Amino acid sequence: MKRKFLRSVTAVAAVAAVAAVGLAACGSSDSPTASGKSVASGLILGGPPEFKTRADGVPGLEKNYGVTFGKFTVTDTGGPVTVTALKNGQIDAADLFTTDPSIAANDFVILTDPKSNFAAQNIVPVINKAKATDGVKTTLNAIQAKLTTSGLSALLTKVQTDKQDPDAVARQWLSDNGLAATGTAASGVSLTIGSANFPENVILAEIYAEALKAQGASVKTTLNIGSREKYYAALKDGSLDLFAEYTGTLLQFIDASATATSSADVYAALAKALPANLIELDQATAQDSDAIVVTKATADKYHLVSIADLAKLAS
Amino acid sequence: MIITRVFNWLTDGDNWKDSHLNTGILTQLEAHIRFTGIALAVAILIALPLGMLIGHTGRGTWLVSAANAVRALPTVGVLVLLTVIIAPHFHGRTDTGYLIPTEIVLVLLAVPPILANTYAGIDNVSPAVRDAAAGMGMTGPQVLFQVELPCSLPLIFSGLRSATLQVIATATIASYVPLGGLGRFIYDGLAQQDYPQMIGGGVLVAALALTTDLIFATIQRYAVSRGITGRFPRGRPAVASEVQSAVLTGPEVSHA
Amino acid sequence: MISAAGTSSSSSPLHFIGYFMDHRHEDLGWLWSHTWLSVLPVVIGLAIALPLGWLARRHRFVYPPLISITGLLYTIPSIALFVMIPPILGLSSLDPIQVPIALTVYSVALLVRVVADGLASVPEETLQAASAIGYKDLGRFFKVELPIAVPVITAGVRVALVANVSIVAVAGTIGMSNLGQLFTTGFQLSTPTPYYPPIVLGIVLCVLLALVLDGLVLLLNRILVPWRRVAR
Repeated sequence: MKRKFLRSVTAVAAVAAVAAVGLAACGSSDSPTASGKSVASGLILGGPPEFKTRADGVPGLEKNYGVTFGKFTVTDTGGPVTVTALKNGQIDAADLFTTDPSIAANDFVILTDPKSNFAAQNIVPVINKAKATDGVKTTLNAIQAKLTTSGLSALLTKVQTDKQDPDAVARQWLSDNGLAATGTAASGVSLTIGSANFPENVILAEIYAEALKAQGASVKTTLNIGSREKYYAALKDGSLDLFAEYTGTLLQFIDASATATSSADVYAALAKALPANLIELDQATAQDSDAIVVTKATADKYHLVSIADLAKLAS
Repeated sequence: MIITRVFNWLTDGDNWKDSHLNTGILTQLEAHIRFTGIALAVAILIALPLGMLIGHTGRGTWLVSAANAVRALPTVGVLVLLTVIIAPHFHGRTDTGYLIPTEIVLVLLAVPPILANTYAGIDNVSPAVRDAAAGMGMTGPQVLFQVELPCSLPLIFSGLRSATLQVIATATIASYVPLGGLGRFIYDGLAQQDYPQMIGGGVLVAALALTTDLIFATIQRYAVSRGITGRFPRGRPAVASEVQSAVLTGPEVSHA
Repeated sequence: MISAAGTSSSSSPLHFIGYFMDHRHEDLGWLWSHTWLSVLPVVIGLAIALPLGWLARRHRFVYPPLISITGLLYTIPSIALFVMIPPILGLSSLDPIQVPIALTVYSVALLVRVVADGLASVPEETLQAASAIGYKDLGRFFKVELPIAVPVITAGVRVALVANVSIVAVAGTIGMSNLGQLFTTGFQLSTPTPYYPPIVLGIVLCVLLALVLDGLVLLLNRILVPWRRVAR
């Protein structure tokens, strides 16, 4: 009897020991003091996983500015994790998007990019050639002409901060900009519009969708599709007809060796890079670019204005 | 060939070590084991005594049903909800704000199988055995610890092993929030379009799950009395009793 | 319409009903794909597990290796299986078919054992009686053994279905379209302040789906084994 009791106690203890192995190894390993003494070497950068390997990510910062951060922490793609981590001090610098309302809301500072590490990211509709009738083109290009960066930011604030519905926000924007008129410019065309899974792209898809519907097109939307790899394949094989894209990242995605950085160059290069069945319409002045963002306190402490300042020696 | 590239990724020594901007496999493995260990330890502390108590007294069986209903909760959803609530409250260089939601989710996963199997194990002990123990003059706690617990060890272990598998598998979604752990390679590989890394991460998680299960199987082999398993050096095979216990408990493992 | 929430803030967790009304079309689409992604693998899995389980019952030596192999499959985490299937089958890495395939693998792994054990629970004397009245191999399997094993198999199917509902949502985090998208959406919109409605809606719909599927299986079980009701 005693043996049986001991046996079960030993068993439970052994299991607990296995479970506790991890607990013992709890020690947090601090990153070793970086070799350089630049401002960046004492800071932690946060961003999406691909920022670590992307040409304009960590490698680009190093190449263009000689900036090497002490550590890179994976957060998310300009989403809540990155913003919270920057705000609460888990990271010191972050890769965020310039239209993000949380930048202003939290008094974050966007570091300027004089050497154009980040290529231009103008909003451009990429559309299936077969669906791009003159009426469709006119309708979409009218929207493109009215899309500005600050306008985009305002739209995003409504959805992200005020939690309004993207389709309602889209309709409101169209009528505010005199684009809500109904007509028959796009009648007889049926298309499927897709969007990536971040709020801004959803709003843009809704704007295109509402405008085309008002012009008589038969529209289907497939929103919140995951990564570009997935929706780009769908665009190519014709399961999607229209997508609001960003010139710089799309160009980089299609052609990793692309070097264009200015809006006009990127736009021209993208036109050549797109497969035969896809064309780009007019690009908007609205841009939503990646940016290196720090808190006001960090900017003040190290006197940071541009990304280049991160390479300065820390005093 | 993708399989060779996965193999190369796994066998590249540089991928195992930490470097300036990269966290190596060893560190992520340690983090993965840490998440799993904490969750299992907490779940055992909650579920084992509770299951023994319910099984022994026969009271509070609704708790077992309630714990089983918890399984219907979508793991990712609960993780996102808790993260959104908890994470903003933590400041400074800490990932506690993400660790707490992750651990809560993992404990929620681990408690039902351990609780259900501990309860079922104790409850399934034949009344004749219990009567015999009482007849020998054993007190309530003595019956519980010296008779019922040893008799129910096979079922307790099966619950524990399925809980462990689920926790190891689910700890990968900690990287969605985003913490470290082996899931990091899966989500990073996906984002970086680095498929050898992504699949290599998957292989590592499966290997960890398998190794851990083997360790538990070995502990179980030595811990459970042969009088219960029927696993004697010679004599009748054990198949009958194994089949019976499987039928009694029903299938156990579920993933996330 | 959404006065039940009783609050001006549309970020309130209780606003999930209003959120559902506003996004009915999309949400129902996700619910539908979530449903078939959860159910289809179990149906296919059962179709594969039945002959395998029968084999294990018929030939005792098949049982141990079969149970070991299926047990091994079960140790592979779902997200790992999702990402490993495309290269093995030569699919594109984000082909949505990988989710039902992965779930079918789990369902087979879980149900083979359940079917084999369920069949093993049929008493020997019942089998002898069936043979004595003249049932031959397959007839005895479908008319006698399988019906008696139904309650045990039902238990396995219930576990598989409820687990699938949760795993399908995990696939949402790697870009698959299902209720898991509600979590991604809610998370994305939680930047200045938390945005609970889509997250809570996703949890509610997943739990409801799991409960409904579970209830349907129980109902099916009652229809398939009417003698149990009589006995009660």
